[in-house]
Order: sequence, then C-alpha cells, then structure tokens
Amino acid sequence: MTEYYTVKRIDNSRLVPPRAARQVREMARWMVLGGVLAGVALLYAWQHFQCIELRYHLEELKAERAQVGERNQQLKLEVAGLRSPVRIAAIARRELGLAVPEPGQVAPIQGPADGVLAQARAAAAASRP
Amino acid sequence: MDWRCPRIRILLLSVLALVWMGAALARLTYLQLFRSADYQARAKRQQQRIVEVSPRRGILYDRHLSELAMSVQVDSCFAVPAEIADPAMAARLLASVLGSSPEEIEGRLSASRSFVWITRKLAPETAERIRALNLRGIYFQKENQRFYPHGELAAHVLGYVDIDEKGLGGIEYALDEQIRATPGRMLVLADARRRWFDRQEALAGSGADVVLALDRHIQYIAEKELAEAARQSRALAGTIVVQDPENGELLAVANWPPFDPNALAGSTSESRMNRAVGALYEPGSTFKIVTLAAALEEGITRPDEVIDCQMGAIFIGNHRIRDHKPFGLLSVSQVLAHSSDVGTIKLGLRLGAPKFFQYLRAFGFGTPTGVDLPGENRGLLRRLENWSSVSVGSISMGQEIGVTPVQLASVMSAIANGGYRVRPRAVREIRRGSEIFPVAAAEPQRVIGPKTAATLRNMLEGVILEGTGALARLDGYTAGGKTGTAQKIDPATGRYSATQHIASFVGFAPINTPAVTILVSLDSPRGKYHGGEVAAPVFKRVAEQVLNYLNVPHDVPIAPRLQAVSFRAQPNAPAPEVSDFVPLQYEPSAAVEPRATLATPAKLAPVAATSVPRAEGREITVPQLLGKSVRQVTQECLSLGLSPVLIGTGVAVEQVPASGELIRPGNRVTIRFGRRTASAGGSMGRN
Repeated sequence: MTEYYTVKRIDNSRLVPPRAARQVREMARWMVLGGVLAGVALLYAWQHFQCIELRYHLEELKAERAQVGERNQQLKLEVAGLRSPVRIAAIARRELGLAVPEPGQVAPIQGPADGVLAQARAAAAASRP
Repeated sequence: MDWRCPRIRILLLSVLALVWMGAALARLTYLQLFRSADYQARAKRQQQRIVEVSPRRGILYDRHLSELAMSVQVDSCFAVPAEIADPAMAARLLASVLGSSPEEIEGRLSASRSFVWITRKLAPETAERIRALNLRGIYFQKENQRFYPHGELAAHVLGYVDIDEKGLGGIEYALDEQIRATPGRMLVLADARRRWFDRQEALAGSGADVVLALDRHIQYIAEKELAEAARQSRALAGTIVVQDPENGELLAVANWPPFDPNALAGSTSESRMNRAVGALYEPGSTFKIVTLAAALEEGITRPDEVIDCQMGAIFIGNHRIRDHKPFGLLSVSQVLAHSSDVGTIKLGLRLGAPKFFQYLRAFGFGTPTGVDLPGENRGLLRRLENWSSVSVGSISMGQEIGVTPVQLASVMSAIANGGYRVRPRAVREIRRGSEIFPVAAAEPQRVIGPKTAATLRNMLEGVILEGTGALARLDGYTAGGKTGTAQKIDPATGRYSATQHIASFVGFAPINTPAVTILVSLDSPRGKYHGGEVAAPVFKRVAEQVLNYLNVPHDVPIAPRLQAVSFRAQPNAPAPEVSDFVPLQYEPSAAVEPRATLATPAKLAPVAATSVPRAEGREITVPQLLGKSVRQVTQECLSLGLSPVLIGTGVAVEQVPASGELIRPGNRVTIRFGRRTASAGGSMGRN
C-alpha cells in the first residue's frame, strides 16, 4: 500500500509570540536598573579620573604659585639691591656728577597756604616802585 | 563523549571559567591576606616621596621697611653615585663647570652610593651649565640662601649666617631662634612618570621678620664718612654710632674695617667685629662729661666757678699728671671747653671716690648697656675697694676705665635728653605674618636732673664754639660735644704708647631739642691724632647730613651757599661790587664741580651771609615764570638777584608779582606750582 505524505508549509515567522506584560515590565525594570547602575559606575569612574586630573592640575598650579612666589622674592631682593644708597650714591656721583648738598642747599618747600599768598600779594604791592 | 555536542562544550567552558576564576580568586585572596602589607609598602615607595621643605629665614628690615637681609631659593647640586656609569667622566665634566679638581669630585662620588653633595647653593648660571651637561645621576635640590642686598652696609649689625643658614653674628645670631624657621616636610604622591598628583604638607614654620631701628640712609652716611676718615687718617679701625637720644634707638652703627656678609670667605674675624659694642677702650677726655655731670649734679661746682689749673701740672699720690697745655685760671666751662686735665681732676677729687663711683655706676659703666646686639663688652670699671690713690684723678680724665662706644654714646644721650639713661637698642619690632610684636623699650632711669643736663648741654656747646671741638661746628645747627684723645696701652711695655692714640668725639645736635647723638672714634690715626682734629670734622659731616636728612629745622643761620652757587652759574655776569664777596671761592666758571664744595669745606665755611652781589638802586623786571619748572624758576630768580618763594610742586601756574613788573633787587617773588593745565596762566596779583 502506498502511503502519501503531504507537506503543508506554514510560515509563522511573522507571528509574534505573545508575551506576558508582566515579563516585559520585569525586563524593563532590570534594564533601567542596570542602566542606572552602569551610569553610576561610569559617573564614578569619570569623577575618579576627573579628580585625578584635577589633582595633577592642582599640583601644577601649586608648583606655579611656588615659582611665582620665589620669583617675587628674587625680584624683591633685586629691588632692594637697586635701591641701595651705596649704589645710588655711586651713580649720582660718578655718572650724574651730583654731590651731597651743603646745608644751605636744602630748602624744604612748604605746601600752599593762603596766608603766604596774602603776604606775597602785600609784599608785591609794597615793593612796586 | 561527543565534543560536538553543544552542552558538553558549554559545560567544559564553564568549568574552565570557574577554574580560572577560582585561581584568580585564590591569588587575590593570597595577595590581599598575606602579601598586602608588603605590596602596599612597595607601592608607597614608588608613589610616595617625602620632600624636605627648606625653612626660610625671616627678613631683616630697616626702620622704613627696606630689606637689609633676605633669603631666596637657589639650586644645590647632589649626586646619586649608584646611577652614574662613569664617575671619572662625570667628575671631569663637573669640575670643568665648577672650577674645582676632578679628583676631589670623583673622591666624593666614591664616598657614598646613595647621596653625595656636589656643591651647595650655586649661582643660577652655574646651575644652568650643570643642567646643560645632562648627566645621569646628577640632581638639584632647592635651598634657601641668605643675601644682603646692600653688601657691606650695616654688616656688623646684621651679622651673617653659615651655609645652613644658622646665624653666627649680629642680629642674625642674637635673634636666630626667632628669625630661623622650622623645616617642613611634604608627602608627595607621584605617578609612574614622576608627575605629582597629590600632597600632604607639614608646612615649614616661617621665620619672624625683624624691623631694626637702623635707617639705611643714615647708616650709609655714617659708613661713607667713616670710610673716608679712616682712609685719610690711615686709622686701624673706627666706629660711628648715631643714636636717637630720646629713646636710645641706634639709627646707625658703622665700623671700620668693613666686611661683606655675602662673601664671608674674604673677611677676617677682626673685620667682622662690631666695635661699637665689643671694643673696649680708654675714653680719654670725652669721659670728662661724666665727671662734670656728677660734680654739677652734686652742686659742688658751677659753670662759672674759676679753677686754678696750676699751669698744667698736678700731683696725686706721688704721680705728676701734666695737662696737654699749661692752663692757669679757667672757669669750669672753660675747663671742659679746653679739656683741662688738671681742672677736671680737681673736680673729681672734690667729688670723692665713693660719690664718683656711684655716678659711674648710675651712668652704666662696668655693666652691659643691655643693647640687643651680641658680643657686648660690659666695660672695665674696678670695684671701689680696688681703687688706688690716683684712681679718682685718672678716671676723672678718662683713664683707668674701659668703655665701649655705645656706652659713651648713651651717656651723651642721657645729657641730651634731660638726664635719663636709656637703653640703646637696635631692634624695633618683630613681625610674624600680620602680627607685630613691638620690642618694649626699657624704663629710662634718671641719672642727673634736667637742670644739670641743660647746664651741661650749654657747656658742651662751648666746647664747639670756643674750645677743642671747633672743627665740629655745624652749619645751620647748634651742637654740643666733647673731644677725646686717649693714649693706647702699648702691649709690649704695658705703658701708655706715645704713638698710638684713639681719637674720638661724642656730641649731639641741635642743642635745645637734640635729634641725634653721634659718637666718632678712630683707632690709631696716623699724622694728626687729636680728637678735635680727626674725629670732630667727621662728627660735623655726619651730623649735617643726618640732620638735613631728618628734616630737622635749622636753629642758626647758614651761609647762603645756594646763592653763591647760582652766582657761579653765570660766567658772563659782571664782577660783584660788594666789599665782603670773596671772588676766589666763586670764580666765574662754566661748569659747577660738585666735588669741589665737598673737598674744600674749610674754604666755604667763612663765606658771609651777605655775599650775594646786588646792584643797589637798580630795578629788576620780573621775568615770565609761568610754565617753568621749580629748578628753572629758582635759577632764573637767583640769577636776577630775586628771592624766590616756592609753593607746591610741578610747573609754575601763578606768580606774584606778575611778569613785567618792576621790583627791587632781593625782593621776593612768590610762585605757586601745580599741574600744567590748558588754562594755567595769569598771575596771583591780577586774579
């Protein structure tokens, strides 16, 4: 007896198996949780490396501050040397031909005073020939 | 077993993974539990580094906060010999830069494997040259080095430090604990490339800054004049002390010979000695002020009392003491003015040994003054019971007693300030950051009454006006003082030397409101050796400059040298026709030689106040002065014989009388100076 087999090709690839809504929520929750955790971990790592970077930067700034402070100290020393009366006197004497003023050559100039001006006016009027 | 079966494969992979993880876990557990401490220590060694923070000494300032001593960082070079492949080559290269011998450096490199100094505190250019060699195993470390920006200025007061910045002399030594800082440490975290990324600091304690009473300008004046005097007189040593008589502050302490604290190697211990506080000498006649002060205070004499000076000789305990000149009858004022030994001895004898000793102690002789400078000599004053029959006489005229310059200056300050003995001090305040700790002045002690002090001041003025101190007479100021010429003890014979003297002058100015006390002392001058000849002119030069610098108002008229100088500035001017003009000193010359006035002070001194030539009866047209500088206005007015009155600074903006007006010679022209403006103009007389 001859037996016949018939093959019926059924394409169910387009069928989407029904999923339980509960499963979907569960998966979404885990994914969010995983995402948050991954985000936190990434944030932590970023902060960590950022912190290290900032430490490097801070150290550079500290070193720069120390250098600037030291340079400032050196400049102060240089200024002190340049302001030395020994040096200034030598320049004044040798290069500019100046000399220590005699007592009569130093005349302190007083600030303007109305009284002085009034006296000057009176004296000027009196001295007119 | 079918290897192709996926289940088997997965199972096998899982087992392998588990084994790998187990092994890793086991290793991790082993490392964490058993090797943790070891590896942590290794990591620390690699990452952490302890850096010494070099302590920085405080700054020494003068009274106006100008830096006199400060520290800056410089490079010191060291080697790690273990890292140097060819020590001989490295030593040769380093020696070529440092100028030392290669053998010496090579010897140092072989002395240690881990660390050895090559040279410390290098000049920047030398450090750069060594860096340029790029030698392996050669490193640099920052260290602080002390610098004295003014070089020799005030070196004896400031002192000096050793290579480790430890104070060895002067204020550096006396206040070393305060000025010196505590060293700090820094724990540094470094990565594999030795870049620092973190640190923990134990900060170095900064040293305190010290503000001295010194004024660098007054110090410069004192040192300059002392150097000049020492060179001229070829003295072995010398000292000038400038003190504020009111509070005892030392405005200047100059010593000769000088030394440079920046180059200690070139100095001797002799030159580093601060003679102002450490040198002991017999004061000679300058000490007569003490005898006179005691006698006047005790009321046993008066300035006008006449004393028989016995034509210059007196016998005390079989010793004949001779005066430097045979004086007859002299008033007590004249005894001081002419420095009569016999007259002073008579006053000392009248005072008596116990009373005299009491005053000597009260003035502080034989005890330290308490000055805040190291190495102070207390002086030499024998106990009363050890005095011989001639001691009163000898001490009265300044022998048989040892004093320091600062002691004697303090005595003169006591007379100048009305009778109070004030402690001399060099330090005004100590500063730590923003905190200021003033150094409290010691309570002044009254030694003599104000009346005695005033009497003595007048008598001391007489020394300058008519006595041995004539060359100390100031131009524009009154002054009082006393000359001294002490014979030195000849160490070979133990007797007073006939050739070695100490010439000194101690005085103050002005008389009524003394601003400064000045002591000048020159050790063993050659040629002229009297205090009145050698030290008094130095007092004059220092006092005039210092009083001018301090803007102390003149209390006596001064010779009108400014007008005289202006006269020289016009070579084509007609010859003056006034009787008292001295043409020799003001010959018409195109250029003013500034040094000439300094080099010939004696010539200029007698110029009379009326030496300005003026053509009487001639009227002068007031020049246009507006827009001109102070200097131009002054020169123009003086050249015309007008007397300018200057108000303010800048350019002339107003003038009285106005330009074009006719005024008499010598009349005043008042000029107001200010900022130049577009509308500046006109004259005060027309406004």
